[in-house]
Amino acid sequence: MISRKPHVIGKPFPLIEAQRKLTGVTCYAGDEKISPDMLHARILFSERPRARFRLRNLDAARNHPGVVALLTGRDVNGRMGHTVADRELLAVDEVIYAGQPLAVIAAESPEIAAKALALIQVVYEDLPATLSIEQSLSRGAPAVHPDFMSYRGAEKLNSEPERNIAHALTFVRGDVDQGFAEADVVLERTYTAAHLQHAPMETHGGVAQRQPDGSVTMWMHVQAPFLQRAIIAGALGMSPEKIRIITGCVGGSFGGKVFVSVEALLAAIALHTNGRPVRMLLTREEEFKGVFMAPAMRAHIKMGAKQDGRITAIEAIYDWDVGASVDAAVFHLQAVTLAGTGPYAIPNVSVRTNAVYTNLLPAAPLRGLGVAQVHWAIEQHVAELAEILNMTALNLRQWNLVKGGDHLFPNFVMHASGLENCGALAVDAIGWRPETPRPAQAEADDASDRPGVGRGMALGWSPIILSDQCGSSVTIRFDSERLCDVVVDGVDIGQGLYAFITQIISFELNIPVEWITVEPTDTANYAPDWEASYHNLLWSMGHALLRATGEMKKQILSCVAKEWEEPISNLDIVDGEVVSYASRRKLPLLSLLEEGMGAETSPPSFSVTATYRPPNVDGSIDSQLQSFASTAYAAEVQVDPETGALSILQLAAAVDVGHALNPESVRAQIKGGIIQSVSFTLLEEMVFENGVPVSTDFMKYPIATTADMPLQLHPIVVEVPQRSGPYGARDLSHHVQVGAAPAIANAIYRAVGVRIRDLPITAQRIYDALQEKRARESGAG
Amino acid sequence: MEHEIQFVVNGESRSLTVFSQQTLLEVLREDLGLTSPKHGCSTGECGACSVLLNGEVVNSCMVLAVEADGAEILTVEGLATEDELHPLQKSFIDHHGVQCGYCASGMLISAKALLNRTSRPHEEEIREALVGNLCRCGAYADIIKSIQVASRARR
Repeated sequence: MISRKPHVIGKPFPLIEAQRKLTGVTCYAGDEKISPDMLHARILFSERPRARFRLRNLDAARNHPGVVALLTGRDVNGRMGHTVADRELLAVDEVIYAGQPLAVIAAESPEIAAKALALIQVVYEDLPATLSIEQSLSRGAPAVHPDFMSYRGAEKLNSEPERNIAHALTFVRGDVDQGFAEADVVLERTYTAAHLQHAPMETHGGVAQRQPDGSVTMWMHVQAPFLQRAIIAGALGMSPEKIRIITGCVGGSFGGKVFVSVEALLAAIALHTNGRPVRMLLTREEEFKGVFMAPAMRAHIKMGAKQDGRITAIEAIYDWDVGASVDAAVFHLQAVTLAGTGPYAIPNVSVRTNAVYTNLLPAAPLRGLGVAQVHWAIEQHVAELAEILNMTALNLRQWNLVKGGDHLFPNFVMHASGLENCGALAVDAIGWRPETPRPAQAEADDASDRPGVGRGMALGWSPIILSDQCGSSVTIRFDSERLCDVVVDGVDIGQGLYAFITQIISFELNIPVEWITVEPTDTANYAPDWEASYHNLLWSMGHALLRATGEMKKQILSCVAKEWEEPISNLDIVDGEVVSYASRRKLPLLSLLEEGMGAETSPPSFSVTATYRPPNVDGSIDSQLQSFASTAYAAEVQVDPETGALSILQLAAAVDVGHALNPESVRAQIKGGIIQSVSFTLLEEMVFENGVPVSTDFMKYPIATTADMPLQLHPIVVEVPQRSGPYGARDLSHHVQVGAAPAIANAIYRAVGVRIRDLPITAQRIYDALQEKRARESGAG
Repeated sequence: MEHEIQFVVNGESRSLTVFSQQTLLEVLREDLGLTSPKHGCSTGECGACSVLLNGEVVNSCMVLAVEADGAEILTVEGLATEDELHPLQKSFIDHHGVQCGYCASGMLISAKALLNRTSRPHEEEIREALVGNLCRCGAYADIIKSIQVASRARR
């Protein structure tokens, strides 16, 4: 490719939306003022994990002054889901989790809505519930979904509903029994990771209004408007073109605003308010207890290795507590299965992942898609195994590392990757040379001059899967009125999407950035069955943009070529002008658009739509697997051996992004990923009491503040081009998370000699482990 | 109960009728259309609704509108002049101090208050000043850098 404007791709580029965001102009949930007669919706949520229930006093609520509409499951009864319809729009007779919607109300003010809802008495008759993976899988546990097989889409999943297994995937290579027989050392451990919350600063919400034609227009701030259109329409029994979703910027999603939670209820109630618009904005408490959580994990890992460090076999079982709905987690399961061995080429493999139903809040994948939790297990396991083999963990990793050319899955051969390089750079960034084997007593560490200080690292690989929802479509229009107007189907969730779009168009068409306007995403611009990408946008939209700009350029040049009577190959666009390399003629694009080519022709306008479609699904485990993205984390921590208090002194993340199109933006995303990972690793746990969430605010569910930041952050950009990606780039949102938690845990081990195998790593857990270690040592001594 | 109150917001004097239970956040957003302060928690934990009240940062969700009677209030809508962004806004743009943007108003307000007190804050002071402003994207490092650069530019 001729590098026409090398300063645009791979060089700093401003965030297009930043100025609007920083002047308070950008609209988020609750900011839209559709009309002064707007109503306010509130939801009544279940307070019990499993119970039969009756709603009393409904008439009092309905007749309360200022109430315009009230719906219960008796009024609107629909099942909701994308792959499998395992959720009810509103519960009927029985609830299967605390936080399940029982009623929705629209009133003149949020206060009236709340007051009227408080008039409703919910009479519960508790039923046996199952509240953990262990309980759900145990014999005689109540089935969360006894009628699972009757749900739309149930046949698509590999389920055992009577055992509460909603979906299971397995991957087998070689013969693990033989692999373990060959091993000199076999290590078995169990690791867990808590339920997390996406906890975007912007709670779920939006505005909906019924239109005269019976359709519903929704102004929402969601990551996947096209997917939501399909799910909402399905739940309400409407055709998709009757739901129109207009989406501006999103105030944080992290996976929590992909699948529909309360949005369908907003559409439902808006159908009953005589065309008056309805606004819904969840309170923080509702955001915690009534939307989604991220799945919890229990991993059982068995690994065998020869004395020389070759890993001969791995048997891994990953159980995921997906709460009362698997629908949002189906894709998550494919990702964690593919990532299940960690980045190691092991001859004998058995990976099984189970999505397990419980009577808890439905789960939706969090940034990282569970791959971060998989590495929590694998990367600690590898470190422990290395110690048993009396070699450095780094050596053990290198010995077994996946390499380009490895035939890993039936249809997938590993490509060149930055794995090894990431590891070396991360370790180097914190000033660590882990050359000598570690003695079991971590006190004799290389950091022994600083008591309680230790260093650890972890590698990571993360599958990039071009799922069904990985298509993207772009329309570029060029005319004198709007200049370059762009319609896309993706959404800005803080990743800098508008900058990305503008950067590519400006580069490819060689026009000034100021000419380009990206319109808010509107489902009305696309066919009712279009399900656009909500992740891997760089990939899908990048390809769509390259096609669209290529075609646009051809249209413009052929229009001018015809008039100039020159072959199109002579022509190019340079800095907003059509030029001929042969005749040296020039025509500014602005004059072309305003005046046309001459008196006898009217000014032209151009319009191009280009679409990228994901490859077809064939049902195999590596179906749509496009590549693996690599990361490495290195951590330096200090632990107070008396209290277990932990400080992270340094944290380095090396991330292979293929090609950093906008390097500062990439570094910003990595830094954000590091801090979020610290938050997930040290602070966050969704706590339930008898199935009812008690983590309902930021005091009970703390997330990282500036006080929790590591003292030193080292974001490292590694660039091993993804040959099939736009400009060699690959998406980075998910894999930024992978490796942080185990690197910190490995560092803690080297600091004070205890292994924490349950996330989050709290001071209490470290303290307890230290006490146990002391008791063990004094008992032994 | 209704109250007549008067305050100056972003340099403009406003007289309004508010209810006893209305928060300053609600009045700014719903009655005055100033939507830069955001709803994040309604309990003073997240800082998304931060505004300056007589030069001090407050969580406007925790202040009753009647308490603001006679006060001077600054929201992000009042930071820039007609033709120029505030140095903090410029710096946040240049140094990627914003990702999803929902916390951005609160961050700018806390930063403004800090720079009013200390013209050239150390990193530690900036971290401390922002401890009540949550950013779920984890953009803290670039936010801190943005504030540092802006403080230098002002001198």
